[in-house]
Amino acid sequence: MKYQPPLHFLLSVFCAFCAFCGQPLRASEIPLRTPDGFAVPQPGPAFTFPRDHGSHPDYKIEWWYLTGHLFTADKPTPRRFGFQATFFRSAAPLATAAHPAPAAFGHDQIHLAHMALVDVATGRFLHQERLNRAGWDAAASTTTLDVRNGDWSLRFIDAASEKMQLVGGIRADARFTFTLTPAKPLVRFGEAGYSRKGAAPTAASYYLTFPRLALAGALTLDGVELPVTGQAWMDHEYSSSQLDKNQVGWDWLSAQLHDGRELMFYALRAADGTLDPASTLTWIARDGTLARAPFLWQPLTTWKSPHTGAIYPQRIRLTTTDPESRAEVVFIIEPFHPDQELAGKLGGVTYWEGACRLLAADGAELGSAYLELTGYDRALTVLR
Amino acid sequence: MLPLLLRRLSLRHARLAPGQTALLVLILALGVAVFTAVRLANRAAVSSFTHFTDTLTGTSDWIIQAPAGRLPEAVLPELRAALADLAVQIHPVIESTGSEPAPTASPAEADAGAGANADAPPRFGRRTYTLLGVDLVAIANLAAQQTAADPFFRDGGGGGFFDLFGPEPLVWLSPAYAPTPPGHLDLIVNDRPVRLRVAGLIPRATDGPAAPVGLVVLDLPRLQRLVGREGQIDRVEFVLEPGHALEARRAEVSRRLTRLALAAPSASSASAHHPPSITHLPSSDPQPSSAPRWLVSTPGGRRDTAETMTEAFRLNLTVLSLIALLVGLYLVFQALDGAVVRRRAEIAILRSLGVDARVIRFAWLAEAAVLGLAGGALGLLLGWAGAQVAVRAVGQTVNALYYATSVQAAQLAWPEAALGLAAGVVASVLAGWAPARAAAETPPAQVLVRGAPGAIGGRWLRSWPLALGAIALGVALTRLPPLDLGGGTRFPLGGHLAAFCGILGGGVLAALAIPALGRALRPLAARGASWRVAIGHLLRPTGRHRLAAAALVCAIGMAAGMAILVASFERSVRGWVQSALQADLYLSSAGAQSATADNRLAPATWRALAAHPAVAKASIFSAYPLTLDGKPTTLGGGDLADQSGRDGFLWVGPPPPAEALDPARNAGLALVSESFSQRFRIQRGDTLTVPTPAGPRTLRVAALFADYGNERGTVLVDRTHTTRWFDDDHATSISLDLLPGAVAETVRADLLAAHPGVSIFTNSSLRAEVLRIFRQTFSITYALQIIGLAVAVVGLALSLVSVLLDRRDELTTLRALGFRRSEIARATAIEGGVLALCATAVGLALSFGLGWVLIHVINKQSFGWTLAFSAPAAQLAALAVLVIGTGFGVSYLVGRWGAALPADREE
Repeated sequence: MKYQPPLHFLLSVFCAFCAFCGQPLRASEIPLRTPDGFAVPQPGPAFTFPRDHGSHPDYKIEWWYLTGHLFTADKPTPRRFGFQATFFRSAAPLATAAHPAPAAFGHDQIHLAHMALVDVATGRFLHQERLNRAGWDAAASTTTLDVRNGDWSLRFIDAASEKMQLVGGIRADARFTFTLTPAKPLVRFGEAGYSRKGAAPTAASYYLTFPRLALAGALTLDGVELPVTGQAWMDHEYSSSQLDKNQVGWDWLSAQLHDGRELMFYALRAADGTLDPASTLTWIARDGTLARAPFLWQPLTTWKSPHTGAIYPQRIRLTTTDPESRAEVVFIIEPFHPDQELAGKLGGVTYWEGACRLLAADGAELGSAYLELTGYDRALTVLR
Repeated sequence: MLPLLLRRLSLRHARLAPGQTALLVLILALGVAVFTAVRLANRAAVSSFTHFTDTLTGTSDWIIQAPAGRLPEAVLPELRAALADLAVQIHPVIESTGSEPAPTASPAEADAGAGANADAPPRFGRRTYTLLGVDLVAIANLAAQQTAADPFFRDGGGGGFFDLFGPEPLVWLSPAYAPTPPGHLDLIVNDRPVRLRVAGLIPRATDGPAAPVGLVVLDLPRLQRLVGREGQIDRVEFVLEPGHALEARRAEVSRRLTRLALAAPSASSASAHHPPSITHLPSSDPQPSSAPRWLVSTPGGRRDTAETMTEAFRLNLTVLSLIALLVGLYLVFQALDGAVVRRRAEIAILRSLGVDARVIRFAWLAEAAVLGLAGGALGLLLGWAGAQVAVRAVGQTVNALYYATSVQAAQLAWPEAALGLAAGVVASVLAGWAPARAAAETPPAQVLVRGAPGAIGGRWLRSWPLALGAIALGVALTRLPPLDLGGGTRFPLGGHLAAFCGILGGGVLAALAIPALGRALRPLAARGASWRVAIGHLLRPTGRHRLAAAALVCAIGMAAGMAILVASFERSVRGWVQSALQADLYLSSAGAQSATADNRLAPATWRALAAHPAVAKASIFSAYPLTLDGKPTTLGGGDLADQSGRDGFLWVGPPPPAEALDPARNAGLALVSESFSQRFRIQRGDTLTVPTPAGPRTLRVAALFADYGNERGTVLVDRTHTTRWFDDDHATSISLDLLPGAVAETVRADLLAAHPGVSIFTNSSLRAEVLRIFRQTFSITYALQIIGLAVAVVGLALSLVSVLLDRRDELTTLRALGFRRSEIARATAIEGGVLALCATAVGLALSFGLGWVLIHVINKQSFGWTLAFSAPAAQLAALAVLVIGTGFGVSYLVGRWGAALPADREE
């Protein structure tokens, strides 16, 4: 473990999934600042866009998290890829950042980014992480969506239509430029985007999601340019909260169904192996309406990583209730390939983030999904 | 047949004369040792030039650096945009130096304030640290760091990641400096002492070299601030991500960097300092300007530059170190030849028994090779030990003249070991060649002609045409131009060959002079039987006598020649110091302790110093490192009128016209040092174009001046211009003239109390210090001379031993005639003493020629310094007395030993 700060990113990923838990708090109980001086999300947020798609350096942690599925134009069977592109921002402790720093080599913010690409046909999995201080080579705008880390960037090319461009890559092997257009309006998880994370008054985040983005662009793999189309999911979240002491990790899923609906699921795993009561499954209707539903999360098989020795669940059966039909439905979540593990050197945390097929119990394909599994390498105790 | 022969012939010989064999091995060992020691020391000094960033990055693919001055930070976004699609990491670097503070006495004294260290005579040469500033966050992205064994940051203990951003700057030290880091490091940086908190040890990058002892790593913005260079970087290093089309991308990066260097800064980087997103390439083809903004190089290229920079110096040392080996070669030849002569009978018997001539020849060569191998092996050990001493001397010179090195020890490297061993064997076999042939050619009938003189070397050593021809050739060779080694370094091959020819010719001349001297001494024959015997031998000298004289001539000639060079150098430096150092006080940053230290005085500091009430006038000098035609050199800015008005210049050739010294009229004019003129082939009246941050400037050379302090050369212009070109008001040094009545020491103490980070020399202490450094740089040459002389004197003894062994019959006869042991010893002493006298006379005469070659050819071509010829009479006389006296003494002892030799020959 070389660098400590990025841990806080993943730690906050954790917290994010506590979005709906806990009891309602009166506004008067919520402090404006954390003890270490960062802003605390307040209920009833009034977002202004495109400003709030940009960075919020008052808050300790923030990320822009894209996952998606790509298809080439090849006939009759297009080549298929899954990708992840994540931009994290973390504020340095206010006390250490108090003295002035040059603009080119700032020390108030740290930017971490992860990129991953999986070739569904071959199982080839590429990933890279990058760490930079705010400055000449990494920055996040506070007026609009415009984040950059080295030669990777995510920004609005047209703020009015919320059309964005993602430029990323993995070392010299892959490089991609995608245009992403919302196919469905922005979703605000929690109470209109204010999502509670636990009993502590400061435990909350602002949570904004584009659950379905139409994607078009080019993927250059090993020097060969492939025009691609596809769909993506993007989370944008910021908060200043800390991790709960009982948790060892979490499982997270975003699924995009062929019928135009999505579902988002997370399970918080306690040290004793049970799921935290705050674990939640949320349906997103075609019109963007949110609905929570009961669930049963049953890993069917496991995979042992040859890189880290961690054992991850693989095929998972998810049983829930369809809010439209009120009927019980069973999904099988099946990774395209087991080895989509990101053994992080810079973040200090190893996790699994992979493209999956969403199947019905009878094997019919219902949609695509991205699954995130953390805390399997070792308990995320370092985050506490 | 051969093994038997070797055992019965060669081994028996060695067993019978163990002392002689051991001495031969020792002489060879000494020759090899000197050669090896110098090579090892050179190697250590060169390898101590580290491209420091390699310690952290593994190896960068490309480096860019401004040809003069520094790069603005604004180039970084521009570079990112231009290289966006090539998967390359961009690491800006800033490098500076700091020195350890001068030792202070007790804290109590330090508290006493003024004069705390004012009484200690200031000296240069304190340890210089290289301060390396890299973005310690971004380097985590390097594969070399991710796989490194140790982390930069450890939580707890104040070395954690976010401590990097704390109010205090942190430093990381080399594990070679201290296995467990101290709590803090005290340094003099620029004009002030600083105390830096040590966060930990520098982790070694995978495939990177270990951090050298003087390396100090800081976060880039902290170092910028520490040295007052906010917004500037020294260089940018590029590390390509592995993967697809690595070589093609590497080439493309270089191509774009080269093209971009010629482009005007793009509008995007000039207007928006840090645009959040740069995903576009520069839109329009930018306007090419006349000079590149930066130079593209590789870490290997930087190392090569450092190597070629010191190449002439190192080659000269190596050649000098070969003298001892050369003398050793003479002696092995002597000894083997002697053995062949003495064992003629034995060989003849073998031949008549039908042993093949080739086998005999091979046996002798094998014996020579074994001698060489033994000498070489012993020499390696001695050489390695000697290198530990030599490395400091070489390191000091490199430090004073070229770049910072902290080399303390020399490792025994295999190539040098192999070369040393090979030198021993080759020298020995070469020396054994002729004796072996002579042995093989011994006719079987020789058995009857016992003890006939083998005139092998004698034949050459009696040749007037050879002597005169070698000397004439030597004179002709001095006309050869130097060999260009590239990078501005030239090797005076002609000069070295001329010296070799001179030594050869001088040796033969000395051999020829022996009978002449014998004749001249004839009147002394009346003084006794010992004289008559000795003179008799001198009138008919054997090849052995001649060889001993030649070997001595070689050693004496070189030693005296070097002495002449050093004396001439010293006289010139004295003259220069007297002329150049006219002010009362000289001030510079106490951090500037070596040739490449870039510690300077801040404008506020030098203004405060110059404002002292006792100061009548202050003269400011600023130096800027510069790369011209790929060679490092210096651009200086000074007050030319002021310095010239004080006779501060020693002009080489005619002085400059008046306008060159007038700041209002001398824009476009420059003075260049003599070394610069030599290195860049620039003469008075020529023009040169120097790169500056404000664009290239074309300057016409108005005059050449002498500068013995800087081998890399200096271009000097008025400081009014450099201040503008570099937009910089820092001072590298300032000199102060005091008001009449002011006491320099008092003012110095005053200034030191107020500015503890400034190093202040009074006029006399600086003169002394310059001469001390000068002598220090020549210390290794003294050692080499002494070793060469010692080998030659031992060689004289060994020759006489051979001569006496050849003359056993005669010794027996002398004893039978009633000669006492002391009389025989006296006869030998006269014989040896006269040989030494003869060699000394020729050697000294030769040394004037060699001194001339060293001064006007070898030094001039290697370093470009004009020196006034000066012969150190007392030193040369002492050398002569020493050699002749030792020659007499040693010969006397050999004579006493010879007189006791048994009559029968069991050899």
